[in-house]
Amino acid sequence: MGMSCGGSDDLLFDPAREPVEAGTSRRQLVGRGVIAGAALAAGITLLGPRTRSASAAPSQAQDQKIFNFALLLEYLQAAFYGEAVSQGRLRGEVGEFAEIVAEHEREHVRYLKEALGPRARKRPSFNFGDATQDQGKFLAAAVLLENTGVAAYNGQAANLTKKALVGAAEIVSVEGRHAAWISDLAGQDPAPRAADPGATASEVVSILDKTGYLKVA
Amino acid sequence: MKTKTPASTTGDRFGPCEDAVRTIAEIDVDGVLQETAATAFTGNRAAFLRRSLAAAGAGALFAAADADAVTATTKNDVAILRFDLALEYLQAGLYTEAERLGALTSKTLAWARVVGAHERAHVHAIKDLLGRKTVPSPGFNYGRVTSDEQAFIKTAVAFEDLTAALLKWQAPRLDSRSILAAVVTLHSVETRHAAWIRHIVGLKPATTAFDKPASQQKMAQLIASTHFVASKPKMSNRGQPRLTG
Repeated sequence: MGMSCGGSDDLLFDPAREPVEAGTSRRQLVGRGVIAGAALAAGITLLGPRTRSASAAPSQAQDQKIFNFALLLEYLQAAFYGEAVSQGRLRGEVGEFAEIVAEHEREHVRYLKEALGPRARKRPSFNFGDATQDQGKFLAAAVLLENTGVAAYNGQAANLTKKALVGAAEIVSVEGRHAAWISDLAGQDPAPRAADPGATASEVVSILDKTGYLKVA
Repeated sequence: MKTKTPASTTGDRFGPCEDAVRTIAEIDVDGVLQETAATAFTGNRAAFLRRSLAAAGAGALFAAADADAVTATTKNDVAILRFDLALEYLQAGLYTEAERLGALTSKTLAWARVVGAHERAHVHAIKDLLGRKTVPSPGFNYGRVTSDEQAFIKTAVAFEDLTAALLKWQAPRLDSRSILAAVVTLHSVETRHAAWIRHIVGLKPATTAFDKPASQQKMAQLIASTHFVASKPKMSNRGQPRLTG
């Protein structure tokens, strides 16, 4: 969906040979993200022991970074459903889903912004094309966004302090419900696996990039 | 926060990916996400997921010992996981029996088939996490619940909603980050089960922006109210729980 940037060079990149390090070039990161994102979309877990990256012990500073990352996702979801509601083109229960979920995502944004205080990132600009108006495109995009949300929170849970985890768990729980609901509406399996694997931040970023929804400044 | 400097010497080689690269740079302004992204337990998590997925597909039994398996080491984590294991035994048994009897509507049966396989996979996964500290299943008697549509639905919604709430209560109480990383991958699946069965029966799948936790005591009350637990587990094996409370 959206822009494809999986050139052969990127796809040939072997993540196993390049552990993530501070000096990793962004080209390498993109390559890894493309592969991981594609695997994730296909329901394959790519969490082999050699794709590990260093994880610092939970701290308040780390919570802030993770919450700011989550805030980006929530901004995107809130804007997506908000636009779909204001366009008013969705039919039946899908329209009802958009209304209810838009409100949930706005509340998630509020929660994270309040937790982050002055450190909260600004809301970026988005361009959803006709995904907020076309029923079929909306369904596909919403399934992707909700599944990505679940994977993103699950991937960070063990990196959070206990205090931050409490709030994040209350949010991801609702994202899981959204994901199942919209999957059922889209005729897809609401619970396709016995376990929802977590995604790394770069995997999540790669998935978001491919949607083309984030406007580049 | 420091901003990552674009690598200008390689910029012209990005071609069609340039936009993606710039967006990543914008999102990950200080490059920290790559450091904080993955948990340190990917190997363990991968093994865990591999086993749960295989169990979901084939119902295969796994050896408790695995070279890179995580096992619970603190008394606290063992107690939490044993509680979860008992709950997963109960749910797996409930849905598996419903599937076997085949008396429910086709939509509900389809749900029971998928979710039953998941709960059986969770049983195996939690047994693996407990290692030698695992406990056997109690005996269950589900009465008419596995063949009566309304009773089944009421029970399934209650158990799925409350299991998701329970895992949220337990998550911050776990000592081991490895165990936590594994348990959260089950938690969101329970929320999917809950939303799905709610949708099937015409209840709102997601009623609030934040799902609140519920304690083990609450879950124990629900279990007691059903009278499903018919017999204590057999404690014939060595290495089974000592009576230390």
